[in-house]
Amino acid sequence: MSRDIQVDQVSMVFYGQGEPVIALEKVDMQVPAGQFASIIGPSGCGKSTLLRLVADVMKPYAGSITLGGDTPRTARHAHSLGFVFQAPTLLPWRSVKQNIELPLDVVGRGSAKRSTRTSAELIELVGLSGFEDALPHQLSGGMQQRVAIARALILTPDILLLDEPFGALDEITRQRMNLELLRIWSESGTSALLVTHSIAEAVFMSDRVYVMSARPGRITSIIDVPLERPRRIDMMRSQQFFECVNRIRDGLFGHEQAQAAAPGEPVEAY
Amino acid sequence: MASLSLSTLQASWRPLATGVILLAAMEAAKRANVLPIFVPAPSAVLLEIWNSPRLVVANLAPTAWKAASGYFIAAVVAISAASLAVSLRVLRGPIYNIGVMINSVPIIATAPLLALWLGTGPQIQIAIAALTSQFPMLVGTMQGLQAADSRQRELMHVLSASRLQTLRYLLIPSALPYLFAGFKIAAPSAVLGAITAEWAGADQGVGAMMLYALFSYDTAKVWLSVLLTCLLAGAGFGVWAAIERMVVYWRHDVDLVD
Repeated sequence: MSRDIQVDQVSMVFYGQGEPVIALEKVDMQVPAGQFASIIGPSGCGKSTLLRLVADVMKPYAGSITLGGDTPRTARHAHSLGFVFQAPTLLPWRSVKQNIELPLDVVGRGSAKRSTRTSAELIELVGLSGFEDALPHQLSGGMQQRVAIARALILTPDILLLDEPFGALDEITRQRMNLELLRIWSESGTSALLVTHSIAEAVFMSDRVYVMSARPGRITSIIDVPLERPRRIDMMRSQQFFECVNRIRDGLFGHEQAQAAAPGEPVEAY
Repeated sequence: MASLSLSTLQASWRPLATGVILLAAMEAAKRANVLPIFVPAPSAVLLEIWNSPRLVVANLAPTAWKAASGYFIAAVVAISAASLAVSLRVLRGPIYNIGVMINSVPIIATAPLLALWLGTGPQIQIAIAALTSQFPMLVGTMQGLQAADSRQRELMHVLSASRLQTLRYLLIPSALPYLFAGFKIAAPSAVLGAITAEWAGADQGVGAMMLYALFSYDTAKVWLSVLLTCLLAGAGFGVWAAIERMVVYWRHDVDLVD
C-alpha cells in the first residue's frame, strides 16, 4: 500500500506580532505513489511547514492537499503517516522496544492489523539488536534517530515524512543512515517526502527534488533524478549525479549568481 | 537493594558527620559554660527522650497523622485543581491566583480565627496542614502537565492519539519529575502547618508540647520538640525522595569528575 501526495496551490500565512508572514505561496507538488521526493531550500523557506501541512499538524491557509485521494486528516486518522522529526523525540521513560511500539499502543495492539513487521524485526532492520531494553539516554544520537525511524515504520505507513532526520548527525553516520533508509524504504514500498539542507543528500535519495526559495516560500524548480535504483555510493561520482547537483545549485543560488555577475566579470559555473 | 542502601550511605555520611561534629562542639561549649542558659546541652535533650519515651510517642503520633491527613487532602485538591487549570485555559489564572493567595496568608494569625470556625479538634490542624502544603503541589502539577515539548505533542498528534492516550502516554509521565518536586517541598510544610495549628489549641502533639515547654521554661523539652519537628519534616521529605528514585527511573545525572 502506498499513497501519492498531491499539493495543489497551497499557501500558508502565520499571524504573529506585526505583519503576517507568508510562509508558503501557491505551492504545487505531485509525488507519485511509492516514489521518494525531497524538498530542499534555505532556512525559513517553509519546507518544514509544507511537511507539517501534509502531516495534518497544521491546516493550509489556502489550497488543498490530498494523500491517495484522502484529506491529510483522514490519512492521519487511518494511521497512514509515519513522521520522523529533526530530533529523535523519543519518550525518555520508554525503552527502545517500547518507544518503537508506541504507535501500537495508540492504535491498540489487538487491532494492529496494519503492522506487518514486529518490533523485533524493525530493531534488527535498523541495527539495534541487543539494545531492546536500553533507555534513550543510553544511546548515541544516531542510534536514537534509528529508533525514531523504526517507530515511524511499525504501522507500515503509506507515506513516510522525514524532516531533516539526519541533520544533527556527522557526515559519516549520515551517509550510512541514508543508505539504510533507502534500503528500508525500498523494502516497505511507501511514498517518502524528505526535507533536507544537503544538495548531495537530496540527489542521492530522491526520484525528484523540489527546490524552494524563501520569503515567500515557493517552489522555484523541480529536478528529476535519472539515477537507477538501488542507489550506490559510487553513483555520487557519476556525471548524472553532478548534473543534478548543479541544477539544484542553480535553482538555489541562480539569483545571487546573476547579481554577482552584474558588475562585470562572468562567474564560472561551480 | 544493597546497592541502593550503599548509595544512600554514600550520600548521607557527610551530613551525618557534620551533624555529629556540630553536636559534639555544642556539648563541649555547654560544658565549658560559654553557651547561655537557654541553650541546653545536646545530651540533656537526648536524655529527655530516654527519660520519657512515652511523652515523645504520645506527641509525635498525633502530629504525624494530622500532618499526613492534611497533606493528603491538599494533594488531592491541588492535583485536581491543577489538572482542571491545565485543561481549561480560562481557569488557569484564577486557580493559580487562589493558590498564591492561600500560600501567602499568615497562618500564625489566621489559625485562631479558623479555630473559631472549625473548632479546636484535630480538624483545625488538618485544615491548616492542607493550606500550608497545597502550593508546591499545585505548581508542580501545573508545570508538570505542561512539560511535554511541542515535538512530543506533535508526535502524539500524527499518531492520532486521543486526549486520554496523550495524557497517559505523554503528559503524565513527563509531569512526574515536577510532581515529585512538589511532593517533596510540600511535606515539611504540612508538618510545620500542623505544629503551628497546634499552638492555637491542642492538648497533644509536638506543637502543644512545644508550647507547654515554653511556658514552663523547660528549655530541654523545647529543643526536644524542635528536634522532633525536624525529624518529622525530614522524614516526609525523605519518603518522597525515595519513592521518586524508584518511579522516575529515567532521570540520569551526569557525574562530573571533581
